[in-house]
Amino acid sequence: MAERAGGLGPGDARVRLVVALALAFGMAAVRDLRLVPVLAVVVLVVVALAGARGGLLRRLRGPAFLAGGIVLALGLMLGETELARLGPVALRAEGLAAGALIAARLLAIVAVTVTLLAPVPPMALAGALRGIGLPGVMADLVLLTLRYLDELRAEIGRAQLARRLRGGGAGWRALPEQGMILAAALIRAEARAERIWAAMRLRGHGSAEAAPAAPVGWAGRSAVMVALLAALALVLIDRAA
Amino acid sequence: MHLPDGLLPAGMALAGYAGAAGLVGLSLGRIRRLPDPQAGVPRAAMMTSVFFAASLVAVPVPPTTVHLMLSGLMGVLLGWFAMPAIMVGLFLQAVLFGHGGLTTLGLNGLILGVPALAASALWGGFGRRLPDLAALLAGSGAVIAALAIFAGLVLAGLPPGIDRGAERAALSVFVIAHLPLVLAEGVIVLAVLRILRRVEPRLLPHG
Repeated sequence: MAERAGGLGPGDARVRLVVALALAFGMAAVRDLRLVPVLAVVVLVVVALAGARGGLLRRLRGPAFLAGGIVLALGLMLGETELARLGPVALRAEGLAAGALIAARLLAIVAVTVTLLAPVPPMALAGALRGIGLPGVMADLVLLTLRYLDELRAEIGRAQLARRLRGGGAGWRALPEQGMILAAALIRAEARAERIWAAMRLRGHGSAEAAPAAPVGWAGRSAVMVALLAALALVLIDRAA
Repeated sequence: MHLPDGLLPAGMALAGYAGAAGLVGLSLGRIRRLPDPQAGVPRAAMMTSVFFAASLVAVPVPPTTVHLMLSGLMGVLLGWFAMPAIMVGLFLQAVLFGHGGLTTLGLNGLILGVPALAASALWGGFGRRLPDLAALLAGSGAVIAALAIFAGLVLAGLPPGIDRGAERAALSVFVIAHLPLVLAEGVIVLAVLRILRRVEPRLLPHG
């Protein structure tokens, strides 16, 4: 997360966000299995342009596991053409093809979004959301949530540890204790929220007073345009195939 | 319980964005009618952080461990702020942790947001008269509603021609696998709301 947002010319988080969204929706629209190599090419181009280093394969491990499950499940549940049979269970070609398409879309979209968005610092991402027109209330929500997320995670983690050290039970009987931890965290969060709101008012904070975002540069606009065209091309090629 | 990217057709994902945007717009409209709309933001953000953090903790519920959804509790405590808060939480989960997806953000928002708003309405209607029952229903009911929306979307979006028997078996496994979560959320939401009623009743907006 702390990596620098490098490569891809502009480090503008707004550009990365819009490019990621455009490409993700373009890829999600692909319905023809023959276009999977094209998805792979798009991913490779994005990875090369974004200057992504290690970490992508590690981040893809979970989605790859999910994709494998989808291929197997659809292979067992869908289609007529049997490829293999083991007792009552048959692996079918049509299901495998449908699963492979879904798996390819999933992995391609995750690869693109991870490559483009993982290097962006979370606070820059929150600023980007406001920059692309997210309502002020929601932009403030993102900023404040990000600001206190780690602190509150650590607090809840400490409370869980303390419960275990005190010999707190496990299983169903421990659920009310879990509820108590959550309730305590909520009460502390409320007290903290009051202090934050008081501080915000003293600073004269308000969504309407947010500084206007800096204009997107030529390189950023070009990147967005190329991404939109690539997404449109994917849709058109898919429909023509 | 998040829909991943690429599973459902792009048209459904776009419709999900439209639906979620509609609910967010409705929620923001109601928030703007509050005497001081900005005053609720820090509180909603703190609550979102707590819910986000708590949902990352694996709670052992034999025979499995579950990650709490807490959309029912969010609905009860945040009211109209629940939908924007859920969208924010889902976006951060997708980008920071890779849970869910960017294209399915709208659909996932509907899966959690609709039950949250329903839980809010339920608490508003019965929270004062039957607080324990309302809390239990808000917790368990929100999970059941989310499961139903999730299953409905997956069934509507998967390729046609899936073997009926296999589909029924897969759905049964899905429901049985989530039963511990349904019960656990009910118990936890009941415990949380009981404590809040006793210790900090002003945290409960209505009821």
